[in-house]
Amino acid sequence: MIKKRHRFLLLSLLAVWLGLASVAARAAGNETRYELTEHAFVVPRVTLLSQDRVEVRLDEFVESDKPVMLDFIFGTCTTICPVLSAGYSNLQRKLPEASDKVRLVSISIDPEHDTPEVMKKYLERYRAQPGWDFFTGSRKDIDAVMRAFDSFVPDKMSHRPVMFLRAPGSDTWIRINGLVGTRDLMAEYEKLLEE
Amino acid sequence: MDQRQGPCSSRLLSLVLIAVFLAASPQGVLLAEEGVGDDLTVEEAQLLGERMYREGLLSSGEPMKAVVQGDIPVDGSMFSCMSCHLRSGVGSIEGTVITLPTNAGWLFEPFVGARMTQEARDRLPEHLRRSAFRPAYTRETLARALRVGTDPTGRKLNGVMPRYLLNEEEMSIMLDYLENLSAELSPGVSETTLQLATVITDDVSAEMRDAMLLPLQAHVEAVNSQSRHQERRSEAGPFYKEEKFTAYRRLELSVWELEGPQETWQSQLEAAYQKQPVFALVGGISTSDWRPIHEFCEEAQIPSLFPVTDFPVISDTDWYTLYLSKGWYQQGETVARYLRAADDVGPEDTVVQIYRDDRVGRVLASALRETSQALDWLQVEDRRLEPDVTPSAAFWRGLASEYPEAVFVLWLESADLAGIEALASAGGRPRYVFLSAPLLGEAIGSVPQEVRRFTYLTHPYSLPGEKPRAELATRQWLRSKRLPLTHERIQSEMYFLSGMLAGSVKHMRHDFYRDYFLDVMDMMRDQYYSVATYHRLSFGPGQRYASKGCYIVQLGDGPQPELIARTGWVVH
Repeated sequence: MIKKRHRFLLLSLLAVWLGLASVAARAAGNETRYELTEHAFVVPRVTLLSQDRVEVRLDEFVESDKPVMLDFIFGTCTTICPVLSAGYSNLQRKLPEASDKVRLVSISIDPEHDTPEVMKKYLERYRAQPGWDFFTGSRKDIDAVMRAFDSFVPDKMSHRPVMFLRAPGSDTWIRINGLVGTRDLMAEYEKLLEE
Repeated sequence: MDQRQGPCSSRLLSLVLIAVFLAASPQGVLLAEEGVGDDLTVEEAQLLGERMYREGLLSSGEPMKAVVQGDIPVDGSMFSCMSCHLRSGVGSIEGTVITLPTNAGWLFEPFVGARMTQEARDRLPEHLRRSAFRPAYTRETLARALRVGTDPTGRKLNGVMPRYLLNEEEMSIMLDYLENLSAELSPGVSETTLQLATVITDDVSAEMRDAMLLPLQAHVEAVNSQSRHQERRSEAGPFYKEEKFTAYRRLELSVWELEGPQETWQSQLEAAYQKQPVFALVGGISTSDWRPIHEFCEEAQIPSLFPVTDFPVISDTDWYTLYLSKGWYQQGETVARYLRAADDVGPEDTVVQIYRDDRVGRVLASALRETSQALDWLQVEDRRLEPDVTPSAAFWRGLASEYPEAVFVLWLESADLAGIEALASAGGRPRYVFLSAPLLGEAIGSVPQEVRRFTYLTHPYSLPGEKPRAELATRQWLRSKRLPLTHERIQSEMYFLSGMLAGSVKHMRHDFYRDYFLDVMDMMRDQYYSVATYHRLSFGPGQRYASKGCYIVQLGDGPQPELIARTGWVVH
């Protein structure tokens, strides 16, 4: 009985210590603004419509010889998408001949509202250059893409700030949880080239 | 799953960027020298401030410049203060990102999370009296927040908050604007009551009037019935729910009856408003053009929620009326989009639309024409049917001969489709025939079998049997209110409005600003289960037509044909 009590006490102390350690780790982590995780996502075989009314098969489109970056946005988004898109815009500005060096993909999570015309205007606002495409589609296909990237939200207002990166020829997608500045995004881009 | 930590961006870098931008901005220097704020009237300064806040444009017309996330330069043409803090300034919630209020009522008070009266705070036990997260902003501390992103305590604001590059004059204009933004509660609200009105025009039948008005009145009665002891709770509820409970207001619904010619509606609306200022218009019904009521709301800045009209104003920029749909216009727009996507129709093909020169025909025809032009794809040829012309088999054969293998869009009722089966055997048979399901109404089964294989119909509502749960919910609600089911579409829309109104009023809490009412609606989740009439309704800042959809269907066999969807709800 005594041994059992000791074991219970020991386990309790261990649990408390682990809990404190976890809090401490999280507190330390507050210094960083984002988190990276790696995933083997399977991109669904869905056909989406671009801002130029070009139909593309998404799984084929992301099979690029360039690094690919992908995010989920919508045209009337309040806070998250403007920052994500300003990040894309600045990345294109910073990368000489960006259209040859990275493929930027934005996927609408408000396909009812985001027609090709709405998406085109949106890209113009962010001075998008060739190499950045914005896609819409049926609600069913958009949901399938969100699910494939483990980013499904039942409603656009539950949107989260995430972005996905993939090196050419790689099966691995790197998920960036959080919003990043250009310097950090460039650093992640450089890492993709090293892989 | 591998987990790595990303590097931290340097705060120093953003400060350096700001300094570089300021130094490199000839415009900033110019404005400082000219002193644009010195000669402005209060009204002019407010308008300039409004333009900065809403459109991201400086008084020079140049976009405001800023840095987000430490090192991303942005300008006002990408997004503005309003994008995140919304028009009212009360802020937004998107996923895990909460944008705090930036209107006068919040900025210049200490921020303690929940808003409580001083009396209520004094009643709290000492250990529950939370100190403020930040003291009230002053002009100086607010300018600092806008420039370098720190609050009055020195705490750093989130990186998504832009650090703006503003000279003293521009900053002064912006601060003046924020000092007045949503500073006082809107007219039509008191400590106890929220005044609403609904507009009914004299062209509406008694049955349709009741279908709109009675559910609305039943909702008001339910809110006022105190079934959850709302007023008692607002006085004596637990402190942590006080903010929520004290937001309760009784509703008072005025009925504004408009009579006579449309040109007199504006003055009738103004007189009704003078008699009883209201916070918002809800519902309402007219079979005429809604434009005079729409324009009244724009001018008086009064929100109007879900009027029952097939003739809304189509605008990308107007703000104050939130419609359920684009009405008849949606169908013409959908045909244009469908043809834009069709593989077998191109700019070289002929599209002929035939319509009666009445209000419905003109709206449908202009929608197809305007959307086709906007898509820069098809030329549409208009044929108006003269009043003395009744189409027959000879008419249709002649049309097919004149426009062989064309696309016919027939915005006509069933009486005008007599003899249309002749198209099936005519030389030059049309490639597509489009009809409007709502125009055909109950006579949809009279479309001849011979033409059904190349005939498509616009159907801007949910399909029969598609939304049984929502239909059941509407009927049960009507039954609970002892209202007979008379006009399912209108009653379903009013049932939906009731739910949305209850949600939005509750969400406003103390912030009874008209702009915030619409901001709250804009942040509403997409609605699927709660509405029977439409497949899906969705919202968003500036989105003013909740339904964006319209099926293209074909008819099955027989006199009561099945509607077979050939597209999804939304046609891009």
